[in-house]
Amino acid sequence: MKTNMTRLALSALLSVGVLGAVPALAEDIVSLPNLSYRTGPFAATGIPLMNGQRDYMTMINERDGGVNGVKLGYEECETGYSTEKGVECYEKTKATGIVTQPWSTGITLQVLPRSNVDKIPILAPGYGFSPMADGKVFKWAFNPPASYWDGASMILRHISEGNLDNLKGKKIVLLHLDAPYGKEPIPLLQALAEKHGFTLLPIPVGVKEMQNQSAQWLQIRRENPDFVLMWGWGAMNAGALTEAVKTRFPMEKFIGIWWSGHDGDMKSVGEEGKGYRSLSWSVPVSDSQAMQDIKKYVLDPKKTEIGEGEFDWVFYQRGVLISMFTVEAIRAAQEQFNTKVVNAEQLRWGFENLKLDEARLAEIGMTGMIAPFETSCDNHSGHAGAWMLQWDGAKFVKVSDLLQADQTEIAPLVEAEAKKYADANAPWPMNDECKM
Amino acid sequence: MLYRTVGQFKTSYAADHALFPVRQDAWLLGVILVFAFVIFPFTASEFAFKALLIPVLIYSLAALGLNILTGYAGQLSLGTGAFMGVGAYACYKLISIFPELNPIAAIFLSGFFSAAIGVAFGLPSLRIKGFYLAIATLAAQFFLVWLFEKWAWLYNYNSSGAIQVPTVSSFGVPVFGPNALSIVQYYVVLCIVTVITIAAINITRGRIGRIWKAVRDMDIAAELVGINLMKAKLSAFAVSSYIVGVAGALFVFLWRGAAEPVVFDIPLSFRVLFIAIIGGLGSILGNFLGAILIVALPVLLGTVPAALGLPISSAMVEHLNTMIIGALIIMFLIVEPHGLARFWEIIREKLIMWPFPH
Repeated sequence: MKTNMTRLALSALLSVGVLGAVPALAEDIVSLPNLSYRTGPFAATGIPLMNGQRDYMTMINERDGGVNGVKLGYEECETGYSTEKGVECYEKTKATGIVTQPWSTGITLQVLPRSNVDKIPILAPGYGFSPMADGKVFKWAFNPPASYWDGASMILRHISEGNLDNLKGKKIVLLHLDAPYGKEPIPLLQALAEKHGFTLLPIPVGVKEMQNQSAQWLQIRRENPDFVLMWGWGAMNAGALTEAVKTRFPMEKFIGIWWSGHDGDMKSVGEEGKGYRSLSWSVPVSDSQAMQDIKKYVLDPKKTEIGEGEFDWVFYQRGVLISMFTVEAIRAAQEQFNTKVVNAEQLRWGFENLKLDEARLAEIGMTGMIAPFETSCDNHSGHAGAWMLQWDGAKFVKVSDLLQADQTEIAPLVEAEAKKYADANAPWPMNDECKM
Repeated sequence: MLYRTVGQFKTSYAADHALFPVRQDAWLLGVILVFAFVIFPFTASEFAFKALLIPVLIYSLAALGLNILTGYAGQLSLGTGAFMGVGAYACYKLISIFPELNPIAAIFLSGFFSAAIGVAFGLPSLRIKGFYLAIATLAAQFFLVWLFEKWAWLYNYNSSGAIQVPTVSSFGVPVFGPNALSIVQYYVVLCIVTVITIAAINITRGRIGRIWKAVRDMDIAAELVGINLMKAKLSAFAVSSYIVGVAGALFVFLWRGAAEPVVFDIPLSFRVLFIAIIGGLGSILGNFLGAILIVALPVLLGTVPAALGLPISSAMVEHLNTMIIGALIIMFLIVEPHGLARFWEIIREKLIMWPFPH
């Protein structure tokens, strides 16, 4: 009897395994892994981003049956934002995956050198290492639509009304997370401070002090800066805003980067955070065709579930845009190589040749959600423009025209830092095919 | 049956004190070594190397270092993560200052830096004991991680503030960096761990090990029989920090490939401490068993739903994993508070007696 039971259980397990495997073989599918974080200290910001990515891919599968008949096999590997889990997930997914999305600057730094060897493109949209924009050095890494240095330049241009010399004699505080991510803008801001004669004061916030920033805000109060820029993430954003409200810091002088503009964080401050601005390369347009299709094909039939009100959030719709990059890259690669199921190498070409102009954005129903941009073999970022979003007490609203970064100031630094990285990691394979 | 000791006679004191008084133990170890040196390397996938074999060995080594201090010499330390960091940063500076240096030599040398720092932070142990000493080592933890963040020279003024591993070769074979093959890295880690484990077994079984145990069991009594407490405690700190430092260098250079200061923060110290406690304080074997439970088991459990084709989201797998591992830890500690090593001892004794228990 006992052996019979065991046999029964075994055969049941086997048949589950077999049945699970069969449908996957029956159709064309590309594996698109995502090193997500729905758990851990940054889960609150991770969940809407991951939901948006998942839902766009599900929508494409449901509405169009995939990209030209090839299903998108979106799969998550949970890291909890831990770099250790990041190694594990990268190794687990690299065999089948044709792209890697590391989702943390720390994990990006770990996988960046390996991507050359494993030949898998890294997609780090709007984060990661700013010099990755230099496609001649970083053949396999992509950070569209804009790097942190583009972001820093756009913020400064906005607060100086277009001319950075207006900032002369002003004092700007950079309140940043004390991690590779938060330190990213410092080299550019320092160079600009010297050139245009303003004072830059970086104030780091340790990961342990994210929720209690009284010391940092005491310093800000004492320094009385003209502007506070924030490179914050997760609990740090809400912590900073709470302190800013408490110390009555004028919100008009307080500006965050695109990861510091999360509706969930702002909800905890509510009405008092009115006037806070965040730069963003994405704008939520809930009645756009793409978003309505997600509602129609994914959310209404309850294919997946998201939180209440999450649909209108900046981060959810940004997740949608991020998946759009991958989908458009697959489409481009399919056309170029005249194949259906693209591999990692072909997808790399796709990322390098993204052409998202107004016409294309209108075609895929995303007009106004993102600024048009295109990538090329020497420009892996696209340097798209961005807008200022302002918190009105209940939601973020667009309050500026499209801002553009000043590439004359960024390009030399990108080149120098990329070269520094390649030298420190010699022998580093350069992208010699790129003749631009 | 398999463990029957009938017919194994001891005719001298030396034979009775041998490392393996029971012959089957030696065979068992031989089988494990064959697996580690021959079978695993030729069957393991890239994922198995990077997510299972290499991390288990590195964590075992770190726990071994801590076990010498806490399990053998009785000095509780919460600064393991920071001492691992000292080893990693020392190795980074060594290979950037002397690019010609052999990577394996760099790893062994970097241990000396963490040994020196360990002795410095071990000085308070001469005056304070137990929980108070744990707090003093906590100071090392906070101070060193702060130093890794603030002292830009340590990370060669990188704008990201993280250390990154370049490709470094030993006799033409890349050992560090992205171009190194996993199998090479595995063998390097395995050989270093084996050498240090053999050294640790011999130290703890010899004169120094007995001095440490005497200090652990009752330091006043040890002092009365003529043991120099200062020497005993500081040597424990030095040896322990050396091993932990080597483990830290391996951790970054042969496994992670890049590290930011926060990696060496207190969660890492606790993780290593858990491995040592669950494995069994005052045992060498326990570190390996503990590392398998804490490091490898979650990875293995994580692959189960996918292998069975169960549609569970990866975030849910992670939640389940945390719960299962937590429950297992509690279960093991209830069943055997002295750790997995003691658990194995009991099983082994039962096997020797089998089938005739008293």
